[in-house]
Amino acid sequence: MRKKVWKTCLALVTVGALAAGCGTNNSSGTNTSNTGGTSNATSTSGKTIKVGLVTDTGGLNDNSFNHLAYVGMQEAKQQLPNIQTSVVQSQSESDYVPNLSHFAQDGYDLVIAVGYLMADAVQQVAKEYPKTHFLIIDDSITGIPNVASAIFQSQQAGYLAGVVAGMVQKNHLLKNINSHNTVGVVGGQEIPPVDTYIAGFQQGFHSVDPTGKVIVEYTNSFSDEAAGSQYAQNEIAQGADIIFPVAGGTGIGSIKAAQSAKVYAIGVDTDQSYLAPGTVITSAIKRVDTSVFDTIKAVQDGTFKSGVNNFDLSNNGVGIAPLMSGLPKSVTDAVNQAKQQILSGKVQVSTTVQK
Amino acid sequence: MVFSNPEIWALTLSMAIPLALPAVGGTFSERTGVVNIAMEGIMLIGAFFGVAFSYWTGNAWVGLLAAIVCGALTALALAWGAIHVSADQTVLGMGINIFAAGLTTFLLNTLFGYSGTPVNTPKLPTLSIPGLDHIPYIGIVFQNQSVLVYIGIVLIFLSHWFLFSTRLGLRMRSVGENPLAADTLGIPVWRLRYLGVVLSGIFSAIGGAYLSIGILNGFTSNMTSGRGYIALAAMIFGKWTPLGSFGAALIFGFSTALGIVLQGHGVSSNLLQMIPYALTILALTGLIGRSTPPAADGIPYEPRR
Repeated sequence: MRKKVWKTCLALVTVGALAAGCGTNNSSGTNTSNTGGTSNATSTSGKTIKVGLVTDTGGLNDNSFNHLAYVGMQEAKQQLPNIQTSVVQSQSESDYVPNLSHFAQDGYDLVIAVGYLMADAVQQVAKEYPKTHFLIIDDSITGIPNVASAIFQSQQAGYLAGVVAGMVQKNHLLKNINSHNTVGVVGGQEIPPVDTYIAGFQQGFHSVDPTGKVIVEYTNSFSDEAAGSQYAQNEIAQGADIIFPVAGGTGIGSIKAAQSAKVYAIGVDTDQSYLAPGTVITSAIKRVDTSVFDTIKAVQDGTFKSGVNNFDLSNNGVGIAPLMSGLPKSVTDAVNQAKQQILSGKVQVSTTVQK
Repeated sequence: MVFSNPEIWALTLSMAIPLALPAVGGTFSERTGVVNIAMEGIMLIGAFFGVAFSYWTGNAWVGLLAAIVCGALTALALAWGAIHVSADQTVLGMGINIFAAGLTTFLLNTLFGYSGTPVNTPKLPTLSIPGLDHIPYIGIVFQNQSVLVYIGIVLIFLSHWFLFSTRLGLRMRSVGENPLAADTLGIPVWRLRYLGVVLSGIFSAIGGAYLSIGILNGFTSNMTSGRGYIALAAMIFGKWTPLGSFGAALIFGFSTALGIVLQGHGVSSNLLQMIPYALTILALTGLIGRSTPPAADGIPYEPRR
């Protein structure tokens, strides 16, 4: 009898633990409902809207685009009146549909899906909840009236980063640069938002150093930091001395590997120089935060536009972070020149990775 | 060619250790008769608390110790459920895995915020064995490996000796094969099962800490990426022996390393990622002969007194 009671208790505890596990996954974000509207009484136009953010499996602390989307949302909350926000982090790809539906069902005005990998889930959920607005980052969904998509011409950012890598490599501008003329890329998966960066990087690098070699490898993960480190180490062993990870959380491991091996890295999505000062030369960035902020504002103002919003060099939607100090002016000049060539259309940046 | 490059063997070793340690841990647990599929979750716990305490105390060794303590505590919860309450061990293990994934992500965000664990977290030192690095080929394999690689290898050999050549090891195995017989001989079945499960927690936590403060100095959500489950396969592949598990882990580590190295030669990454899993299936379908678990594995035991 006593045994049975114990068993029942344990079953309950287990179920509780399971629920707690899921619960944490789903609401580990700040569930801070902002009622700061009262202090902002001047702007009466701002009706209260609820914004939900769903990350992909990289999670909010990927130091990369999920994090940037969160930053954009936080900015909107601080600068615009009456914005309520909530975050859900996806633990696996099967979480996408339930996480998106959860916000839509809860009457959120805008649901932000961070990442190309969520494209199918957004298409499915958006049709079921036509009154909810959706924003998807990195995929062009068209023809659904309540879905806007933010597309970044990240190949342009990759190109500029490639130019920097090429200049440093060819002219041996930093110490420990060897004479192998080799740089390495650690990709997350072979998907367009990753490959566009890489394609641009290859083209930019070769525009400076046509004979140099770019090793491209994919880890097939956006969260396995250890794998990111191992892939980078392998590329370094092959002579690469500038590593460009395009792999979310996995890439943090690559940058750390570059730091340990006393070579260099180029960050991605956001200025990642804080991860390894003295190692990160620059970062190829895309302003996911801007696109999130703009869309939240548009929903509040009633000016939400479905379809594709393009972010590129011309509207500062992509670019590179400030260069590491100590690099000569020739690098900055080369970057500015490349920028002009892209803007004037003289250089067309490819989106296909050269194998 | 690819195989003559010592880099692939260095990668093999460093990718095998985080599989071998939890696999050996699992061996301890299952040899005493408790099915343990919670290695993945315990690794995550170890990885997280390793980083957290390494940062808070400024000493990576304290981090390792904290990882071990937290891993042992988690295993203790599993042991209590499995031994004292005779709950379903598979469900318990799965519960711990899901719980650990949620808990570590939650703690990461609440304690360290969304910018992740601090970049100045200390990590465990790397070590090149003084004599070895003069030998041309082997030297590179053992160059700059984490100190946990060496500790891990020693622990694995010690475990094998302990389990198969000591009296306590024999007793532990006996309660996993025939607990009733062991009990009638006065061997404390429950106590030995607790010991087995807690040892599995310790080994898994060291495996997790190897990832977070051994080769890196930070934690990301789900950074173990299923290694605890591959360790489970390595344990079965290795026929529930520590040395066998190590061998299996080396094969998995090698296939991962091969995947990394071959990509540089233009082989599709998606194809290469399948190698470890294809190997698992091959191994389990008879390539290595029959793999028989301990007879009382997974069966709760009620002391007759």
